[in-house]
Amino acid sequence: MSVESYLEDRLDRDVDGEKLTAILVFMLPGLTLFGIFSVGPMLYSAVGSFFTWDGFTIGQFAGFETWIATLNDDAIINWDNLLALEYPMGALPQNIIWMVVHVPLSTFLGLGLALLFADLRGRSVLRSMVFLAFTTPTVVIGLVLLFVYDPQAGIFNELLRVIGLEGQVRNWTQEPQIAIYALIAGGVWVQTGFSMLLYSSALAGIDPALLESARVDGAGRFRRFKDIIWPLVKPVTAVVVIMSMIWVIRIFAIVYAAGGPSGGPGGAFSVLGLEVYQAAFSVPIEYSKAMVVALIELVIALPMAWYIASMD
Amino acid sequence: MTDTHNPDGSTDTHRSDDPTDGGRGTGSDGDPKTDGGRVYHEPPETAPLSDRGLLERARAAVPSAPRAVRYAVAIGVALLWLVPLVGLFMASVRPLDQIIQGWWTLEGMTVTFENYARAWTFQSGPMRQAMYNTAIVTIPSVLAVTLLGTMVAYPFARFDFPLKKWLFFLLIVVMAAPPELVAMGNYNTLRTTGLFDTYMGLILVHIGWGMGWVVMFLRNFLLGLPEELEEAARIDGASRYQIFKSIVLPYSAPALVSVAVIQFTWVWNSFFFPLVFMRSRENQLAPQVLPLMKGRLQIDWALVAAGSVLTMIVPILLFVTLQRYYKQGMVAAVAD
Repeated sequence: MSVESYLEDRLDRDVDGEKLTAILVFMLPGLTLFGIFSVGPMLYSAVGSFFTWDGFTIGQFAGFETWIATLNDDAIINWDNLLALEYPMGALPQNIIWMVVHVPLSTFLGLGLALLFADLRGRSVLRSMVFLAFTTPTVVIGLVLLFVYDPQAGIFNELLRVIGLEGQVRNWTQEPQIAIYALIAGGVWVQTGFSMLLYSSALAGIDPALLESARVDGAGRFRRFKDIIWPLVKPVTAVVVIMSMIWVIRIFAIVYAAGGPSGGPGGAFSVLGLEVYQAAFSVPIEYSKAMVVALIELVIALPMAWYIASMD
Repeated sequence: MTDTHNPDGSTDTHRSDDPTDGGRGTGSDGDPKTDGGRVYHEPPETAPLSDRGLLERARAAVPSAPRAVRYAVAIGVALLWLVPLVGLFMASVRPLDQIIQGWWTLEGMTVTFENYARAWTFQSGPMRQAMYNTAIVTIPSVLAVTLLGTMVAYPFARFDFPLKKWLFFLLIVVMAAPPELVAMGNYNTLRTTGLFDTYMGLILVHIGWGMGWVVMFLRNFLLGLPEELEEAARIDGASRYQIFKSIVLPYSAPALVSVAVIQFTWVWNSFFFPLVFMRSRENQLAPQVLPLMKGRLQIDWALVAAGSVLTMIVPILLFVTLQRYYKQGMVAAVAD
């Protein structure tokens, strides 16, 4: 080995050492907090779900015992009601129903509003008006929904009275079979602003000359949408859908504010987050059940994380 | 003019929305991007200045019939979207008996600030204290997560190091995971360290939890930042820390504002973490107090509305004043 290459090697290693120190200095403070308050607790839940718990203290290894018990818990999945399609079906099916109804509705409404506002003057103000609900605290959203659906003071029932549907007036958030849809409508109200914003920025990137030349070539409104706009905003749709799904999986404050910690009459619109809170922080404390339910939420969210990672 | 983008007289296609421009340009040239994708056209000397009369111009400014319908629909929809929030605001300034009659009946309307006064001194959690607590928790946790997040994001964007892929995936998982998943572990951690039911405890939880998306977001931003400046500084003998402080941070300012604004809204609005980690009456945050205002039997809408408006006014004002950063951030955070 020549002296020169040895020196070079030393130099490289010195540079690397310096670089590694710098990386550590940059990352250590943030990653320490990230580790202690995010990754650590996640592992804690993952491991803890396989043990028995005495209050907040870990007990013995229990295998899948809690998992099986939780999946047979009426609050999580009420198999009888689920087969009869009657609420309460349990938090897991209800959370999934929320997702299935909410995500397509808010996505299409967002796209529709983005298209509607796209080239109007004052579109920025119009967008802000629709987006405002998304910046509002979710607990306020829940209370606003209670207010909107109030039998006396609520404007939704007043609307029914005005259009002559007097017989339909009711407290929509207290009817077990329909309350969840009333709340989902509220969720769509909030989330539409978000998807509209993302679609708007995608639409702004489309060259107007392209649309104009298609129009001149005789392409109708629908053709222009199908052949030009849709292919260009399609990647945004994936993002909108994933973000909405994550939003729905995390839903908590809206339901808590509208129906209390039990999630409406008999848990008719309870969601997974609410069940975690109930199990972990109200008597009787069932830490392992809380962990299992939270992990179910994670299992639903993981494919989305995977997708986000693969987009990179 | 050396521009040969449109060989056949490009000077009169100065309007970019000219229908023929796009088709002809790509057809005849084949490679329109050679001049950086942008073609600058001088306004032609014969450009019409104002050969249209005032009346004609006014007529052109009035939208055509289908367009007018679109405006009407658009404004209608936007107003419809605001109705629930307008109702909340109306309820906050009217006495309860008028709210029960319907906030939309404007007949005999009286405006009162008594609801706000009641919310401000609400017995089981005065908003005066709750808003103060919310600010005390939100401001430090936003500043800290923005700074620490940039420091973590920088190596992700610039260097290779062991476990990088793994760490990155962990950050994304936390971004997608529900907050309930970390509640149990953090509850026990804060209990054993004596940080439970303290400002510091909640601040730390918020920093650790926000790290996921903040790092993701800033890494994507930093990847788009040209490296040349940093290299030049490095050749001039600046250390990595000096480069970070005097080049990376200032050039990231817009992205940092976006992160701070969005994170502020999220931390201020967050409900679950305070609900779990702040228990005593004097430590409650504003969102926590609101459900308590509902009362037992008849909901006191006047009180609930006033408390809600007080809570939401802060993030909404922030959004209205910094909405450029907020919207840009929202789009960039997820659309990259």
